[in-house]
Amino acid sequence: MSRQPEEPIFNRIEELRIERGLSRQQLADAVGVHYQTVGYLERGEYNPSLSLALKIAQKLGAEVSELFSLTPFRKVKSNA
Amino acid sequence: MPRKNKIYWFEGVTEKGVKSLLNDENSKFTWLRSQRNRRVLVVLMSLGLALTASGSYWTSIKKQLNLDSDVEMIVFSIAAIFVLLSVVGGYSFLRISVRGLADAPDELLDERQIQIRNTSFRYAYLVMGYLVLFLMLLVIVGPRLELFGSDGPDGSFLLISVMFIFASLPSMILAWREKDI
Repeated sequence: MSRQPEEPIFNRIEELRIERGLSRQQLADAVGVHYQTVGYLERGEYNPSLSLALKIAQKLGAEVSELFSLTPFRKVKSNA
Repeated sequence: MPRKNKIYWFEGVTEKGVKSLLNDENSKFTWLRSQRNRRVLVVLMSLGLALTASGSYWTSIKKQLNLDSDVEMIVFSIAAIFVLLSVVGGYSFLRISVRGLADAPDELLDERQIQIRNTSFRYAYLVMGYLVLFLMLLVIVGPRLELFGSDGPDGSFLLISVMFIFASLPSMILAWREKDI
């Protein structure tokens, strides 16, 4: 069976991380990865394993489905 | 009680050594980590390895250049030592530039780092396969073409160069391919 080219997975890690007031380093330390891996995840250049996705969701206090999607997330306008 | 520094014998690294490279503890080498500088390092390293591989012919070059005076001999010898030291230094810089990922054990890396390290080893394995094939052909045709023989250039520098290539290739591939390290 040949492997299909990887489908893009959209995420809101950066948005939720900033909302929670966490730096990349803090999130990285909390989920046990290198801070550059967080950068790769936020830019959608690396798709996490299920266990890492669950750890990130837990740390950011969100469901995995709120963080990752196969379709782009709608931009929410800030009132601030 | 301070924690013991674990030694990974198979990889030839220590826990503290790997962690210090991974965690930006030594900020004086940060400039090495941009992709452009890493690629320059790979090109320089390749040139150094090519020069080392041709080391068996340095004596014939020396004769062809008619380097007879002592001063010229000293200049030639210093240049030769400089090339060898540059390769050793280049190898060290290369390891630092990729945070030692190629030699780090799984337990000290995260899942993305393990993935890119494994990919670099896959490419390195393919390149090494072709390299070994080339060396086997050279063993067959080399003496006939008088590239090396028992009483001339013996190919020993070629083998030294190949050993360095084997050691540095995964790091070279990581340095060339990865955007951020």
